[in-house]
Amino acid sequence: MTTKTPAFGRFAEPSLLILVSLSDGPKHGYAIMQDVEQGSGRPMGAGTLYAALVRLEEAGFVEPLTPIDRRRPYRLTAIGATMLAEQLRGLTGFAQQGLRQLHELEP
Amino acid sequence: MRSLLIRCYPARWRERYGDVFLALLEERPLGPYDVADILLGALDARLRSRRRGSPTTQGRGSPMSLRIGGFAAILGAVLWAVGGLLSIGVAGDVDGQVPVAILMVGMIVLLVAVAGLSAFQARSHPGAIWVAFAITAIGTVVFFAGYAGSVMIGGDGFWGLWFIGVVTVMLGSGLFAAVTYRTRVLSRVGAALIGIGIVVILGEAFLHVEALIPVGMACFALGWLTLGVEAIRLDRPASAIHPA
Repeated sequence: MTTKTPAFGRFAEPSLLILVSLSDGPKHGYAIMQDVEQGSGRPMGAGTLYAALVRLEEAGFVEPLTPIDRRRPYRLTAIGATMLAEQLRGLTGFAQQGLRQLHELEP
Repeated sequence: MRSLLIRCYPARWRERYGDVFLALLEERPLGPYDVADILLGALDARLRSRRRGSPTTQGRGSPMSLRIGGFAAILGAVLWAVGGLLSIGVAGDVDGQVPVAILMVGMIVLLVAVAGLSAFQARSHPGAIWVAFAITAIGTVVFFAGYAGSVMIGGDGFWGLWFIGVVTVMLGSGLFAAVTYRTRVLSRVGAALIGIGIVVILGEAFLHVEALIPVGMACFALGWLTLGVEAIRLDRPASAIHPA
């Protein structure tokens, strides 16, 4: 199955971080922000979170669940998981290629 | 303030996300970084709302990031160093308005840096970060008033405003540096350098040793430069490399 990644523009990076955060189960917005900050060491503001979430939801990569106490959890969809796996495999392959090339340069 | 921020979003967006978004904003204290991030998010939502129906619906918004604060801190440091050195006559005979204009731009850029680098500090010290931002903003406005007065009216009567503006911005920077140092985020060395620079420059007022001014300016600028470089280093994009 081939999944095309839509152009998320400057929100591609936060979108990827959100998808990784949701890969171990549904989370609400605040939990995603905390998870991303702990994982990446970088802050994620609420404005960025929702700008990326709206794009991901429209693309069908995440879906909202029923709100609990005004907190709406999101979960990764099957197509979102496939797209994330493709992205991560691509990054891993590229990183391995770079490391191989670096290794070849070493004396 | 949270309700006001949500009102910046389009009505349709508020209907869909407003309630949970407000609940999210209530989870933790908001600092200048968060406010800037929400305003940029609202701008993005409005751009997307207008473009709906057109072939491109991605909008052209930009997420807030440490990178913005980092670049602002570096640019602000350079402008402060250049403006400060020119104002004490290091480069010889320069039109007096030139260093003042450079310093004014440097102040505005440092204001962006204070907001852009305050994400983590605002979680534990939101009040102090807002005060630091407000002091820096007030100093910038006072300095601008002095600059505008000197350009429109002329004369040397506005030096007092310039001086008060510079000192106020430095005090705002000092408070920001103190909170940064205390919360152990970004670079503690950078925060300490900013503090040392301010103490040295303000100390000159009492000691009257002119040689201290360039030393203080250098420490101040180097401190901001260090914070900016550290912020950009922290904000290295994880997916900057796009796989084929």
